[in-house]
Amino acid sequence: MRDALLRLLLLLVLLAAIARAQLWRVDTGTSVALAAGALLLCGLFAGKVAKGVGLPRLTGYLLVGVAVGPYALGFIPGAGVKGLELVKGLAVSLIALVAGTELQWGLIRRVGVKVAALCCVVCGVTFLVICGTLFALKPWLPFLAPMTWGQALAVSALISMVVVSFSPTVTIAIVQETSARGSFTEFLMALVIIGDLVVMVGFAVAAGLTRASFGGGLDVGGLLGGVGWELFGSVVVGFVLAVCMLLYMKRVKRELPLFLVGLCFASAEAGARLHLSPLLVSLAAGALIVNLDQREGERIHHAIQRAGLPIFALFFAAAGAGLKLDALVTVGPAALLLVMLRAVAIYGSCRYFAPAEDPRLRQYLWMGLISQAGVTFGLAALVSRTFPDFGPQVEVLIVAMITTHELIGPVLTRRAIQRSGESHSDEAPHAA
Amino acid sequence: MQALLVLLAIAALSLLASDRRVLDPGRSPAMAQLAASGLLFLALGAVMGPDALGVFSNRDLTALRPLLALGLGVAGVTVGLNLEPRLLRLLPRTVYVAALAHSGTAFLWVALPLAGPLLLTTGLPARAVVGAAALLGAAASLSSGHFAVLGYRSGRMERRQGLSVALLTMLDDLVGLGVLMVALTFGAASHPQEGLGLVALALLLGAVCGGLLAFLMHGLNDLGEVLAVLLGGVALVSGASAYLRVSTLLAGVACGATLMWVGGRAVNQAVRVLGRFERPAYLLLIFLVGAHVHMRDVLAWALLPAYLGLRFLGKVLGGALARRIAGLALGLPPRLGYALIAQGGLALCLVVEYLVLVPGQLSQRVFDVVVAGAVINELLGNRAFQLVITPPSQGRRDGGGMP
Repeated sequence: MRDALLRLLLLLVLLAAIARAQLWRVDTGTSVALAAGALLLCGLFAGKVAKGVGLPRLTGYLLVGVAVGPYALGFIPGAGVKGLELVKGLAVSLIALVAGTELQWGLIRRVGVKVAALCCVVCGVTFLVICGTLFALKPWLPFLAPMTWGQALAVSALISMVVVSFSPTVTIAIVQETSARGSFTEFLMALVIIGDLVVMVGFAVAAGLTRASFGGGLDVGGLLGGVGWELFGSVVVGFVLAVCMLLYMKRVKRELPLFLVGLCFASAEAGARLHLSPLLVSLAAGALIVNLDQREGERIHHAIQRAGLPIFALFFAAAGAGLKLDALVTVGPAALLLVMLRAVAIYGSCRYFAPAEDPRLRQYLWMGLISQAGVTFGLAALVSRTFPDFGPQVEVLIVAMITTHELIGPVLTRRAIQRSGESHSDEAPHAA
Repeated sequence: MQALLVLLAIAALSLLASDRRVLDPGRSPAMAQLAASGLLFLALGAVMGPDALGVFSNRDLTALRPLLALGLGVAGVTVGLNLEPRLLRLLPRTVYVAALAHSGTAFLWVALPLAGPLLLTTGLPARAVVGAAALLGAAASLSSGHFAVLGYRSGRMERRQGLSVALLTMLDDLVGLGVLMVALTFGAASHPQEGLGLVALALLLGAVCGGLLAFLMHGLNDLGEVLAVLLGGVALVSGASAYLRVSTLLAGVACGATLMWVGGRAVNQAVRVLGRFERPAYLLLIFLVGAHVHMRDVLAWALLPAYLGLRFLGKVLGGALARRIAGLALGLPPRLGYALIAQGGLALCLVVEYLVLVPGQLSQRVFDVVVAGAVINELLGNRAFQLVITPPSQGRRDGGGMP
């Protein structure tokens, strides 16, 4: 722990020197590689420090990213952090692929209905609470105030759908870090993944209604087509990907980690451009592989554990560096109110509606649902792009919420897993 | 999107071409030569660049600068890691003199005569032309040892001779890097003093990163963590130098050398880990280098025959000189110059570094000449090398111990 702290401090001193040297260079070059190297190294040792003080490694990655990023110490330029967007898709794809390999048919049969029912309740209650609050705050929120009641209701619904979303990325990364196994962990993972699907559908419907309320007209066919393409198209592409992976693993059998990294990168980039969900594509691929050949599913799991450390450390440190701390200052009070209400809604729905046969679900499940990350970022950016009149202000509000959730979410998720008694963290010291 | 997919395909191809089975001269000598030289990747890059098929636009190439910096960083760190102090101390002085004589002859034969045409065709100040001509000379002085390595591995060349040729080409690299420093001193800033400062900054940055990397790797036992630290370290030194617009190659070499000198046991792990990425990264870098070629510069095409001819003469004379100086100590083959015709990847790294740090018409012309020259030299090199090969039995009778 002391070693890791010393190494981290030395890295920070070097970064400070580089940032200082940059001041007398009038014309600086590209900063992406600098951001990648610095965030990877700092993240790695910050993860060790975090582990030493009993926090998840992931929190260490995020916090050091925040510290050295453009919104705090400023050792890493914003352009460099933005240039690391490519890593985001790759990490989400890899994490989703691992998650997919957990989705065995037996598990889906056992808990599928219960998870789906609870997911709808949690999402529904949270949606209603947030939507009601936003609508009630209409006179005080600058972007809602000038709108008609109908428009305000539609926009509130749109924001609420984004706010409802969970973070499968954080949950799966923490599950990997703690090497957790058991019914509670399975339930939690299945819930955040299905929650994402519910949010995707809900968001598409809310966006369509918002567009209609602003005079764009309600295009039901286009709406259904878009949702259908994103959901079913992703699953089909994921199945094709799974066949490619299986063929490679059975025929070539060499450099599997590198192959998976390359394939996930390609699928994430191509998927994003084709309006598919990279998360769902990889999830479907992982699920098909494990259900066709369990041994190959386990090989994928191990390969990603071997190759994943640098990618996950970089991904979460870059996510931390991208957190806009200034947004917290401007919309802080409203964001904090929404964060609290969301937590209360999730807590209440889990407390009263989680299956009673496992008391751990009623007690600790809510903690695992607080995190927010990639999906929420993506939806917020989509709102900003689709509705340029009020979208950028909505994005600031949501990013402020994500910042809070990113910092407390991983800690709560790890605590939930530890309290459920399914954590085996000592067995996997080098995971995510 | 199109450029990204092509790059991914090239990355996959570079992985395949780095497979040990492909590089094994015993299986298919032609395939091994093609994969070892990277010529195919260079040509592919040139064909897909903005001046030919246009699969990569100029904007794509600008966006790919971080990848170029990473490639140069990996190349630099690899060269630096080869500078093993124990081995360097063991070499007799005559070997250094021979290496300097051979590369110096080729350097002077190219740099001095071509400085005139460069000065006349560009109309730039003499200071800038000195740097460009020096770079042309440096690129000409570099050779590739891959024919010699493949030669002795396949049993077509006596082992001692093959290793001696490879050693000479490795020492050439130091001369090339020295000249890059001179060229950047004169070309990368408005004053030579400032240029020298930037070169010193690159070396200092590399040394600090190397020292830090050695410290970070010390005591790490998990291979995954070593890999992550090494990748992060290479990205950091490449990225910091690219960001400060100082030489990534020099910073990488300083980093690798420092790591080798102070790293202790951790270095062995680093070398093993980096070895897995070295060839794919190199081939990808060569592809990106190819994509930067401007094929429509008539003056570059006009300079090319002079560059090739002068280099050939310089190599033949330099080779004869080196053999006279260290022929006995190293057991160098007759017609040594012919074994040194093929051009090393470092020559491409030098000129692409120059292009990035000193952008302009002159550096682009130097770059185009050297890249086109490298392709032709690689093709000629194969033929020329056949003249050097002696039957293994005769070689064994003549040969002594290891160099």
